[in-house]
Amino acid sequence: MAAEERAEQRIGTVLPDVTLATVTPPHDSWRLHEAAGKSRGALLVIWSSVCSHCARYDEYMNAFASNHPEITMVAVASRQGETEDEVRKAMEARRLSFPVLYDTGSAVARQLFTQQTPRVFLVDADSRLVYRGAIDNFKYAEDTEYEAYLEPAIKSLLAGEPVARPDTPSFGCAIASVYYTIPRPLKKA
Amino acid sequence: MANRFQTTIRESTDLIETGLQLIDGLFRQVRSAWRPEPDNDVAVDASGPRNVDGAVSELSNRITRLSTMTALEDVPSMWREVLEDSRSCFSEVEGPRGLGFGAEVALSSGMLATQQVLRGLSSHYTSPDGAFGTFVINVLEVFDDAHVYATLQYRELLERYRQRLERNPGDGAARMELARTLIKCGLYHEAIRELEMARGDARIRAQALHELSVASFRAGRFTDAGTYAREAMELNGSHVRTRLLLWLAAQKGNGYAPDVPAGMRMQLRSGQQPTLLRLEDMASRIGLDKTSGGRGTAVFDYDGDGYLDVLVAAAHGGCTLYKNNGDGTFSDASISSGMDTCLTAFITAIGDYDNDGNPDIFVTRNGFFSGGCSLYRNNGDGTFTDVTEGSGLDGWGPAFTASWVDYDGDGRLDLYVAFNLGSLFERKTKNRLFHNNGDGTFTDVTDAAGLVTSWPTIGSCWGDYDNDGRPDLFVSNSLGRSQLFHNNGDGTFTEVGREAGIDMYGLGSICYFIDYDNDGWLDIVQNVWSDSEDVIHTMQNGDGPPDGQPIRVWRNNRDGTFSQRSRELGITGCWGSMSGNAGDLNNDGYQEIILGNGSPRMERVEPLTILESDGRKFHDVTFTAGLPITGKSHGVNLADLHGDGRMSLLVASGGAYPGDLLTVGAFCPKERVGHYLNIRLVGTRSNRSAIGARVKIEAGGRDQHRLVSGGSQFGCLPFEQHFGLGPVTQSIDAIEIWWPSGLRQRIAGPIAANNTIRITEGDDRFEDVYKPRGVRVGGGRQLELA
Repeated sequence: MAAEERAEQRIGTVLPDVTLATVTPPHDSWRLHEAAGKSRGALLVIWSSVCSHCARYDEYMNAFASNHPEITMVAVASRQGETEDEVRKAMEARRLSFPVLYDTGSAVARQLFTQQTPRVFLVDADSRLVYRGAIDNFKYAEDTEYEAYLEPAIKSLLAGEPVARPDTPSFGCAIASVYYTIPRPLKKA
Repeated sequence: MANRFQTTIRESTDLIETGLQLIDGLFRQVRSAWRPEPDNDVAVDASGPRNVDGAVSELSNRITRLSTMTALEDVPSMWREVLEDSRSCFSEVEGPRGLGFGAEVALSSGMLATQQVLRGLSSHYTSPDGAFGTFVINVLEVFDDAHVYATLQYRELLERYRQRLERNPGDGAARMELARTLIKCGLYHEAIRELEMARGDARIRAQALHELSVASFRAGRFTDAGTYAREAMELNGSHVRTRLLLWLAAQKGNGYAPDVPAGMRMQLRSGQQPTLLRLEDMASRIGLDKTSGGRGTAVFDYDGDGYLDVLVAAAHGGCTLYKNNGDGTFSDASISSGMDTCLTAFITAIGDYDNDGNPDIFVTRNGFFSGGCSLYRNNGDGTFTDVTEGSGLDGWGPAFTASWVDYDGDGRLDLYVAFNLGSLFERKTKNRLFHNNGDGTFTDVTDAAGLVTSWPTIGSCWGDYDNDGRPDLFVSNSLGRSQLFHNNGDGTFTEVGREAGIDMYGLGSICYFIDYDNDGWLDIVQNVWSDSEDVIHTMQNGDGPPDGQPIRVWRNNRDGTFSQRSRELGITGCWGSMSGNAGDLNNDGYQEIILGNGSPRMERVEPLTILESDGRKFHDVTFTAGLPITGKSHGVNLADLHGDGRMSLLVASGGAYPGDLLTVGAFCPKERVGHYLNIRLVGTRSNRSAIGARVKIEAGGRDQHRLVSGGSQFGCLPFEQHFGLGPVTQSIDAIEIWWPSGLRQRIAGPIAANNTIRITEGDDRFEDVYKPRGVRVGGGRQLELA
């Protein structure tokens, strides 16, 4: 595949208008452009209920709405083979209070050139991409080496300033894996 | 203290091994009387068991897994599952189900049992006294878990434990296992909730507190981790693993709380020897800071711009390819290159198999569990294409290390793939040598080459130990004897491990050829694995226990034999050394040995170790050089990433479990100490990557020797050879290259130091890589054909 065919959206460009439904009743439809336009911006977190990288941000994401009422945040469950029922069970077991959208067939993840969870996309009110990547440097707040990536980006967005580091490496659990295709359990007699 | 039984076993090892091999051979002969050996020894592929051997192995694995997750009172109901599993495992196996089939199952079971006893014998021989039981439990857990986590069955496992707890909320063992599984999944807070309940049970309180400390440490709650560890130690003061957790938690905070008794404290004595080396972690500043599942790395120039780029494989995602921007920073080129779609790769081996000037990538997958290998062709435009299908390299199995080599000297890179065990009861998948046909395809020539391996293998490396111009093969087996195969020069090999004195039992991991004493004869470094207690002993004392197993440095005696010299060289620490590499970090002309340490268990956190060489001995300078406790360090690599003579130490940290997540580290010297020369080679008659070439420089009154390796192990080194020259020497008297084609090329100096140059085979000129000033000629030359 040629390099130009695999080009990610550039920082500053308008993201496609993601339209998905929530996994919990009443399964409202959610549109990125509409949500971003109603507030100061929106945050998409490409996410999975079985991703251990995502799990460490449960508290952060639960508190996001109250910490950042100006930004609409949604998680997008994109992992291959993950059912809506599994997502709902995990939300209940882990007491997750943020909205989760179901990304059938990982279409949105593909559209955003994302292969792993979690990966965040912060857009402004015009749905222009202002930050993409990891939430932090994968340390904990109690760790002296901790460095937040997303929070300074949000601060810059709200202050109307350019984001100093708009694109960071992000990494996590695979959205599609060769191992998910292994028949399991093995074919019964 | 070893008891009489243990002593007897150890003293009779050779006899028992011979007997078991005879039994195994007998079983095989009887079975082959009515059914020949299958052509392909892969008994279990992606679709399940394909023959009796595979079915017997798979059933044994399933029964083991069931036993570990089933409560004693549920055993009667377990038999129903066993019967169902039996039907499932044998459903795809062809052939009539008569008496002959039954006999074949019995013989297959006998052969499997024999192999398992042989592996057990090897483990027993190498385990410290009294530690064999712990070792077996660890092995059981690792191999069980590999299946559970690779196939996402941990959700079912969690559900089973929850169901057990619903039936019997007082089942402390189930709650403990539930919590440990949650920790492995990264669900630390849920684990803490369960363990808080479990600690109410006096029978398991100490263990619950220990696990609470693990979960809290992993969740970044270091104060809580220290508190729990201390409570655990109050109940069990001799638990060294808890002592380490207490120390680790104190390190993350402000040290021990004042009221922590002296008996619970530990002092770090390893890694404290003096050095001029000062390293700092630059990963987040230069854009190399993604998390990694602790797998393989490779350093190579994928886009031909001269700068060394970095590839990092991942346990739970796609590969990351970092493009070197040439200004000290890196950009993530995973998506634009297509390498993001290379999922769950294990080890990466770089080699230009089609000699088009663009280095290609071979990956193995998940060495403790079966998977498919892949070959990615470099298109030369910054992208890669998966060309595995039809290449002949699409084998299934627990492939571990892989290395490119031109074993037959035809100028094309062949490939060797070593296979571990993919499950506890798996039969050995044979290691394979693939011959490059020159048309993009490869042919398995293992049997014709005589490369017979019966032990599970982790490490494999190629080097011409007897200087006859042909690469030989060393195989580091994980549960068994090491093997050395001499290249006969006619496409065949002869095993000479015993004659060479190198066929010791061991828990071998990765290995590599290196001329550590610069005598022109390749030595071998073989990493071996140690359990937690020995690691902690090393951290506390600076040395491992007397019966511990430090890594092995095999000195080449120049007569076809080797001597184990680790302790004489000052290498006495025992680590869980799975990964590692060597390179001259301090530019003094002697190569340091780097150990990437760790083990899957979530409680296990240990340092990456730097053994600095002064030409006579190695000294552990890990912490004085400025390294932190890196955790689990795989994918150790060494490269002059910035082209300025400072060798950086790369490490892909992390472990096998989804919850064991760490970021990549890039430790760079704060300043360059000593002068240097980097040499890159371009083969013409030899393979383009010049894999297998030997390079000697003469400078400052001494010689230095390097091997261009095509071995990946966990860290596929750059083809560029880095020579440190010390603080005084600023020019090189001569460079000698012994190409794989047999050509010996000498470029006489003086050649200025502190540069990176490129030399093409047969051309006595050289050119600068970073500061092009046209091709230049050394002070003289000698070309001779072998």
